[in-house]
Amino acid sequence: MINALRAELLKMRTMPGVWVSFGLAFPLTVLIVLAVLAAAGGFSGHTFYYVSSLSQRRQLLGAGYFSIEVLAPIVGVLCITSEYRQKTITTSLVLVPVRTRLLLAKVIAVALWSIFIALLGLVAIAAVALPWNAALGGVTSQVTDQVGAVVPGLLASAVLLGLFGLGFGTLVKNQVAAILLTIGGTLILESILIALAKAIFHYDLNWLPNGAGAALAGDIARGFGGGNGHDGIHLLTWWQGGLVLLAWGLGPLTLGYFTTFRRDVT
Amino acid sequence: MGGSVRARVARMTASPTTRGLPIEIRGLSKSFGPVLAVDDLSFTVEPGRVTGFLGPNGSGKTTTLRMLLGLVHPSAGTATIAGRNYQDLENPTSSVGAVLEATSFHPARRARTHLRMAARAGGHDEKRADEVLGLVGLTGDAKRKIGGFSMGMRQRLELATALIGDPDVLILDEPSNGLDPQGIAWLRDFMRYLAGEGRTVLVSSHLLSEMAQTIDNAIIVSFGQLKAQGTLEEITAGITGVVMRARTPEADRLAGVLTQSGIAFRRLAHDEIAMDGVTPEQVGPLLASNQIVLYELMQEGGDLESVFLSLTSGLGFGGVETQ
Repeated sequence: MINALRAELLKMRTMPGVWVSFGLAFPLTVLIVLAVLAAAGGFSGHTFYYVSSLSQRRQLLGAGYFSIEVLAPIVGVLCITSEYRQKTITTSLVLVPVRTRLLLAKVIAVALWSIFIALLGLVAIAAVALPWNAALGGVTSQVTDQVGAVVPGLLASAVLLGLFGLGFGTLVKNQVAAILLTIGGTLILESILIALAKAIFHYDLNWLPNGAGAALAGDIARGFGGGNGHDGIHLLTWWQGGLVLLAWGLGPLTLGYFTTFRRDVT
Repeated sequence: MGGSVRARVARMTASPTTRGLPIEIRGLSKSFGPVLAVDDLSFTVEPGRVTGFLGPNGSGKTTTLRMLLGLVHPSAGTATIAGRNYQDLENPTSSVGAVLEATSFHPARRARTHLRMAARAGGHDEKRADEVLGLVGLTGDAKRKIGGFSMGMRQRLELATALIGDPDVLILDEPSNGLDPQGIAWLRDFMRYLAGEGRTVLVSSHLLSEMAQTIDNAIIVSFGQLKAQGTLEEITAGITGVVMRARTPEADRLAGVLTQSGIAFRRLAHDEIAMDGVTPEQVGPLLASNQIVLYELMQEGGDLESVFLSLTSGLGFGGVETQ
């Protein structure tokens, strides 16, 4: 198992797409920091303002979540679909013939890379967000007080969103289709569905992947309008969000394993 | 390059006298929907010999090899190495090395990185990557991206991947595809040397001219079925499709002698006769005892290529074992 994992980590380290995803984590997080500090001022005379409310402080600390929700699924998708796209699946299965072992190695490798992405986001927070917030007059300790509430969930959601991407990649196999499904589905379709559910049925559609991830990562509000909500909806509790996101990760992965991954490699 | 293969192999691989493992295929079948790709195939591949797995395109060779490696699930039967399924072997890459397709590389990966990855996956020392690169003559290209490799270089890299665990069994599916004549000669020398070390070498091909110079044993398949198996000598000697062609100024007298002896023949020209199903050992004494002047006596059809074409065209010449 360790051998298979080491091989998977080396494989991922030599995929340009993975490095592009990794490289985007920092600037994407800075972009969200910028948005959080802009929103904190309420656009009333100040372009940027320091964060003060609980939700704002958590948003600032969890600004890396946006890069996680975009990039972790992409890394998961790339990990498996590149095997089919480049036909390396044949070599991989000859080298690691027990398929469950190969898939498990991929799960762990994706989890580790997703954590790297989350950590890079946190580096951006430490390097850019906290000093900038302090320069605007904010108290750094009021933000770092929320580390316990945000960071573990942020890391966990990174792992589970990576797993979600891996699952869809296993199920779909086609790289472009899998990326469109995961990213398009979570960023665009999920927002539309949430809005429709709220507007038509007055229902909080909070169990889709990003909503669940936001709940797990310390109840981070999306849309930066503050308040304890996700686009105006009430999020699940952190543990409910964790369980739901786990299901979103394991569901496609299990389905993909039984329908695609175990198939003949001709 | 060919001359250095022995030295390189001897230096870079272990050299026990007997190290091969037998491959056993028993009642193996595979259907893809309505298509029966492999049909109740049974054969054994012995260590210490180069065994050719021969058949035309689409005859089920690749499917059989993939079933042997656990990539394709058999519809029936078993394909084992030393009595075990490939995925059940304790250390698969130390037991078996496989060359399946020269396109299964990530183009952005460097040759050395690819082999380091293979070494890691198999639990081998990563230094082995440089050793096998040297073994296949790619040391100078170790840091090049595989995307820029020619087909021949990819074949060599695929072979290097197969050798990463210094395996006892080597399975090669059309390994000479894309190789230039020098590369083919090198590969031939390489396979012979590995078999000489006692390893089991199973190589599939549809290129008979290359295989005839390399293999000790042949397994001939067509339409997923076994058509013949045995040593080259057994297969070529056992066929009934041999034709002896004689050119003589006494063709009429020869025709009379053949008729008396019950040998079937055809007149090809006024001075030329073709005799079916006889050997030079039968014809020679007959001509001598009747004092028939002979300009030329040639045997046609007794080579591997003729046997292959006969067996795979559905005409059903018999080898040592046929179905």
